[in-house]
Order: sequence, then structure tokens, then C-alpha cells
Amino acid sequence: MRKGPAFTPFAARGRRTVAAILLTFALFSTASVTVSIWATSRSQHRATVVEVAARQRTLAERYVKEVLLLREGVQADPAYTAGILARSADALLNGGLAPPVYGDDDEIMLSRATGGHIRDQLEQERRLVTDLTATGAALLAHRPVAAVPMTAHEHVTVANPIVRLAVLAALTSNVSLNAARTIAGQTDGNISNLIIYQVVLGAIGLFMSLLFALALIAAIRRQMAHFRSIVTSSTDLVLVLGEGGCRYVSQSVTGMVGRAEGDLLADGLAQFIHPEDRSVLEVTGADRRTDKVVFRMVNRYGEWRCLEAHVTDLRSDRRIRGVVLNARDTTDRVRLEEELTHQAYHDGLTGLANRALFRDRLDQALARSARSGEVLALLLVDLDGFKQVNDSLGHDAGDELLRQVAERFAETVRPSDTVARFGGDEFGLLLDGAGESRARAVARRLLERLSEPMRVAGRELALGGSIGIVAHVGGAGDSDELIRNADVAMYAAKEGGRGRSEVFRDGMAREFGELLGLEHELRMGLQRSEFRVHYQPEVDLRSGQIVGAEALVRWQSPTLGTVPAERFIPIAEATGLIAPLGEFVLREACAQTAAWQRAGLLPESFVTWVNMSGRQLSSGGMGALVRQALEAAGLPAGALGLEVTETAIVQGGAAGDRARSELERLHASGVRIAIDDFGTGFSSLGQLRDFPVDLIKVEGSFVHGVERDDKDAAITANVIRLAHDLGLLAVAEGVESESQLAAMRELGCDLAQGSLFGPPMPAERIAGLLAERRDSADPRAA
Amino acid sequence: VDARTRPVSLLGLVALIALAFMAASACSLTSPGGGADHLQVVHVTERDFGISAPRLVKAGEVRLVVHNDGPDEHELLIVREAQARPPIRSDGLTVDEETLQPDLVGILEPGGPGSTREIRLHLSPGRYELFCNMAGHFMGGMHTFMIAVP
Repeated sequence: MRKGPAFTPFAARGRRTVAAILLTFALFSTASVTVSIWATSRSQHRATVVEVAARQRTLAERYVKEVLLLREGVQADPAYTAGILARSADALLNGGLAPPVYGDDDEIMLSRATGGHIRDQLEQERRLVTDLTATGAALLAHRPVAAVPMTAHEHVTVANPIVRLAVLAALTSNVSLNAARTIAGQTDGNISNLIIYQVVLGAIGLFMSLLFALALIAAIRRQMAHFRSIVTSSTDLVLVLGEGGCRYVSQSVTGMVGRAEGDLLADGLAQFIHPEDRSVLEVTGADRRTDKVVFRMVNRYGEWRCLEAHVTDLRSDRRIRGVVLNARDTTDRVRLEEELTHQAYHDGLTGLANRALFRDRLDQALARSARSGEVLALLLVDLDGFKQVNDSLGHDAGDELLRQVAERFAETVRPSDTVARFGGDEFGLLLDGAGESRARAVARRLLERLSEPMRVAGRELALGGSIGIVAHVGGAGDSDELIRNADVAMYAAKEGGRGRSEVFRDGMAREFGELLGLEHELRMGLQRSEFRVHYQPEVDLRSGQIVGAEALVRWQSPTLGTVPAERFIPIAEATGLIAPLGEFVLREACAQTAAWQRAGLLPESFVTWVNMSGRQLSSGGMGALVRQALEAAGLPAGALGLEVTETAIVQGGAAGDRARSELERLHASGVRIAIDDFGTGFSSLGQLRDFPVDLIKVEGSFVHGVERDDKDAAITANVIRLAHDLGLLAVAEGVESESQLAAMRELGCDLAQGSLFGPPMPAERIAGLLAERRDSADPRAA
Repeated sequence: VDARTRPVSLLGLVALIALAFMAASACSLTSPGGGADHLQVVHVTERDFGISAPRLVKAGEVRLVVHNDGPDEHELLIVREAQARPPIRSDGLTVDEETLQPDLVGILEPGGPGSTREIRLHLSPGRYELFCNMAGHFMGGMHTFMIAVP
């Protein structure tokens, strides 16, 4: 089965239809002319036939006269007339040559007669001619006329031979006349038929041509509607620019820019195009082929729409005679691009420049400086106390605070300066043309503005900040190095105490560079989970049983190797990384203890001790964190102990109060509290009395000195006694030898930990030890 | 289906037409002065060159149905016969119709061969001459008579 194409191009269909119309005309015209020619020739022939038929009448009468004249002896030739009569009658009936009547006449060619009646009549005529001529011959020969056999007549009652002859002639004459009349009637009929044929043919031809023409018109209309629909339903704007301005504009202009088509024609278009983009109208002037142009048009709301047009030069096409612009509204795309560009170079929260844009501006400023020797300054600001706001008041409050800080910073500097947020609570400022003194002044103003209270989440908050300053003296420079130096300066400012600014000096790089590197590694280490928790067993000196373990964090860095805790803990404290690190140790220790407990390894009253730094305590939210960790691990509060330093619990101010009250609440819920490194600080014994403590840990250095130093021995003995007096247990740390153990036992110390009982070890080994002790204890218990 | 229903419907049509005719004739029978039962049909045949007609007809209203057997054309004149023989014109071939005008009962114009024409006549009792008066036809034998009897 053959399938036609879904859509026949109009050109092909149009050609076919026009061809059909022409063919119809040709066919019907030919038919009409042919019929006319045939009918005319037939009519001419019939006229000849009528002439011959009518001639018979005269000949019959002439024959009678000639017979009568000859009979009277007058010269006449009736036989000749009889011959013409007979031959003519025969030619009329069967076709052939009708002889001439007079000498100068031509013979007449006749065709055979057709039609029932006319043949009957002509046959009768021929019979009558025979009867007539036979009667005439008998009369001339003086034979009895009545004896002549009649072929056309049943009987002739006329007795008189002459009258008989006259009657036969009259009959012949009459039938000839009637035959001629019949033939003439046939001709009339033919002419009528011809007219009917012509009319019918013409009507059919006209009708068919009309049908084809209508089909053609309908096809043209459909095609035009088709293209009109395509052009008008298209959201693209089609413009034709030629001589005299805009020659055509598609309907879509109404939807696109809310203008009527007429408004844009001729010179109207220019007024709606952005003055900067009017060169687009000059596309007709240049010798361009195909290209793309971008321009802006104002819509009726006064909003500029961006249009991107594909230009096709059809000036040589005489149907168009112009340059066709196929324009599409790209406003949304352009805006999105602008927005994305803005997002790529700006901080979403504060709207300030981001690190990438800051870097770009810095590079540009350095390039200028390299050319002109212009000075510039770079400031890095880190907010103090921001994390506490975030933790205690929530991220929304933190975000609001950052926005207000950003506003203040932006107000503080010149518009030509760049203020950027690098992420978190770190900001960068680039001061063009600023030397060290101006940079210091700006830093001072920034700190002043920070210290003015900001209203966030219904509270008045004031912040501090640490600012690192790099002053570039002009000439070539490296942006990476400048930022790194500013970072070092900021670190130095932090180290020097909060609320300070420091200008970078060459010596700083050596002093703080290593620390900065370690901080970076620490951050990476936390992200890469390079930290592990080890446990050091704690032994009851009376029973020798393991009754607890201290959780200690270990860092195995792939780049730095094993980093001792005393190296990285201070940095973690200083940078605030202690918070995530502490949380990790807490969660890990709780989960591990719960796992031991589920395995049935733990003796009753076993406690896992976790160190809690002063910064963790003072930053707030510690109580909630501990409760959450216990809940997550499914561990009873009594199985967890927190080791805090003396200094942490005796610090003053709101932070100290908050830390103490949180510890009290935790203690009330069952969590054990130990004072770590007791004796190294200068604790107020009064505070110690009021503070909910279960255990005091004697610092290892005193334990080590017990055997050889009387002072150490005295301190240790007093600490143990103090613990007992306050109803607390005493723990000796760092017990390394049997003699130290013996001394501790002698002093009445309750618990001990140290390498003698086991160094800090992975959880699996502790589990092994616990299982061993349990198995060896069981038989005795039984 | 068509093949079976068409004859039925044709039959129905024929029956309807027949009924219509019957109704029409019934009407004419009962109509005053119509007297279809009194209308006598008389068939006359013409041919080259003679006329056949019934010798006796009933006087009164007559419908004359004339058929031309041909081959030539023929007319028909009906004359109440006052004289024994119609008068002949001076050409010796045709009847002098003007003389006969007072007695002319009816005339049928020439009809072609094969044609059938009709004429309505009121025939009072008497002898009627029927003839064709085309050139030579009367002399050639195209005349007859019929007698209307009361």
C-alpha cells in the first residue's frame, strides 16, 4: 500500500491544479469545436440532400410535361429526366452521386440516408418514381397503362392514363417534398442538438474549471493560513527592514512588547529600540549576509526587553526586498545569566563580593599597582564570638548578624573599596590607594563598629574581631601571597588577644606560618576523619579491677604522621576546632561504651571519661550535646564521666556561670565529673566545695615525683586527703612503676591509671582486657 | 434486499397508477354530461395510399383515433357527405376544400408515418367521407366513407 506524503508542498499542488484547469479547457474546447465542425458539415450535407430531394418534385412534374409534349410530337426527352429521377432517388436512399439536372451543374455526392422514417419515405419515393416512369413509358409506347405493375400502390382507380400519370407525379412530388421536409427537420434537430451539446459541454467545462479554480483558491487560502498561523503563532518576532524603515512586523510583536504592528512600521521601530542599540537598524546599509544581532526594545510598561535576532539578507529577493530579522525575546535568559554571574561573584547571604571576586579585584589592583606604583592595603577580619551566637541563638540569628556586620563594613569604607565575605565569619577588605596608616585607621573603625551593639533575635549583641592587615607598598605583587600574609597577621592578632588588629611583618611568617599550616591540616584531618579515640584503663587500687577508661584522641595525619595531642589540642582550642573535635570524641566514646555494655564486658559502675576543654564549656550548648550523645548511643548517664580542668570551672563571667550550671545539671542527671590535673591551677577550695565533683585526678608530674621529691609527695598526699575530706575519690595519673603504685596505695589513693596498667590503646584491646578480667574474676565470684 | 423489494415497489406503483386511473374513470362516469360510456372510439388507419375505417358507427360523440402506417405523411378530413362525390379542384388532383367547408366535420393536420392522432367529433346520423387531401393522395385512393347510424 503506497502512502502519500503527509504534506504536499503548495507549489506542486498549485501547478497540478492549474494544469488540470488548462487541460479541461483544452479538452472541452476541442470537443466543442469538433462537434461544431461535425455538425456544420453534417448540416451542409443535409442541405444538399434537401436540395436534391426538393429537386425530385420539379423533376417529376417536368417528366409529366415532357411525356405529354413528346406525345403531342413536340421535341422532349422524358427518358433523360426519368433517368435523373431514378438515379437521384437511389442516391438519396443509398448514397452515391446524384446526377446534374443541367449541363453546367456538378454531380452531388450524397451519403446513405439514415433514420427509419426517412428511409421509408425515400424507398416509397423510389417506388413511385419507378411507377411514374413506367407509366410514362407505357403511355409513350401506346401500351395500356392499366397493365403497368404498380410497386408503390396497391391499386390505382384512375382509369385515364394521363390523369393517372399526373396522380403518380403528384404522389412522387408529394413524398419528395415530405422527405425533403423530414431531412430539413433532422437538420434543425441537429442544430438544436448542437446547441445543447455546446451548452452542456461548455457548462461541464466551466463547472469543472470552476471546481479546480475553487480547489486552487482553497489550497492557496489554506497555504496562506498555514504560513500565517506559523508566523503569527510563533513567539518569534519577524521584522523586515528595507528602504523606508520597517516594512513588515509579525503579530507576535503584540505579545512580545505590547505594541500594535502599525506602531513599528516605517520609522516607528526606531523609537522603541534602545538608543545604544539603534545601530541594529543599519543592517540594511551594510553588505551583510547572515548574522546575529542583539538589541533591546522597550515594552509598553517601559521595561527593556532583550532580543536576539537572526539576520537574513533577502534584499535581492524581489518578494521580500529587505533584511529579515527573526528575533527572540531572551530577556529571561540574559537576566538569568546576569544573576548567575552575580551569584558566582557574590556572597548570597550578605550580597558582598565573594572570595573569587575579591581575588579578581585584588589581581586587578595589583596589576595597576605594578604599572603605577600605587599602594593598596588588604584587611582580613575574623569575628570573635560569632560561633556562640550561631550555637545559642540559631543560624537565622547568625545570618542576620552577618548581614548587619556586612552593612557596617560596607558603610565604613569608600565605595571604591571592596568588601568581601570569604565564608563563615571571615571578611576581606581591599582598600585601593591606602597605606598602612589608613589601613590601621580603617581597622580601628571596623572594630569600633563591631563593638556597637547589634539587635539580633531580640537581643543586643556586640562582637569583637581580629584583623590582619597587609600594606602593599606598590609595584608587582602576588595576590596569593598577600592573602596568606593577611591570614598570618590575623592569626597574630588573635594570638595577641581578641579585638585587635595586626599589620603583617616579615618575622610573622616564620612565627605563625607553621601554626597556620597545622591549623589547615587539622581542618582537613577533621574532614578526612583522620582522628581515632584510644582508651587508657583506670584501675581500682583495692580490687585491681578496671573500673573506667579515659578517652584520648589520636591524630594519624597522612602528611604529618602521628601528631601528639599537646601539639594540636592548643591549636584546636585557639581556632575553635576543639568544638567539632570534642564532639567527635564524646559521640565516639559514648557509642563505644554502649557497645562494650551490650557485649556484657563492663563491670558495674564502669565509667568512660571524656576530656572537656574550657572553650567547649564556655561556648555553651555542652549540656545538650552530652545528653544528645548519650541518647544517640543508648548509654546511661552514669557510664559517662567528664574531665574538666580547674581553670575551666573557676573562670568568671557569664560564660563561667553557664558552664558551671550546665555541669551541675549534667551531674544531677548522673553524669560523673572529675577535676583534671588537680594541683596545677590555683583552685579556690571554696568553689570546689560547692561544685558537684565525684573525682579528683592527681597530675602525673606529682605522682612521678612522689619517690624523690618531698614537695611533690606532700602535694600528692594533701590532694588525696583533700579529696577524701570532701567525700571524693582520688585518681593518680601517670603511674609507671610498682614503687609509684606502692606509694599511692600507701597514701590511700583510690584509683590509678598509667602505663603500668596499660597505655592508651584502641577499643578492641580494652575489650580484650575487660573480657580477661571478667573471666578471671568470675570463678572467684562464684 | 434491493432485488427483492424493487419489483414489489414497482408492482405497488403500477397498482397505485391503476387505482388512480380507475378512480379517474369512475369520476368521469359519474360526472354530469361526461358520458364516457357514450364516447365511441373509432380506429382509422392511413397508409400509402388508402384509408381503413369502420363502415358503420354509432351517431353521437366519437373519438377518432387515427394511425398513420406510412411511409408518407398523411392528413385526414371528415366531411358530412351532402354530395355523392367531393368536388375536385382544377388541378384535377385535390378536393376543393372551400366548397366543402360547410360540411367539414373535422380535420387532422398531416402526421408523419407511425404517428397516431386523435380528434373528437359529434356525428349526427348520416354518411361521412374521410379522405387525405395531400397532392394526388385523394386521387391515389386515400378516401373512404362511414355511416353514422342513430
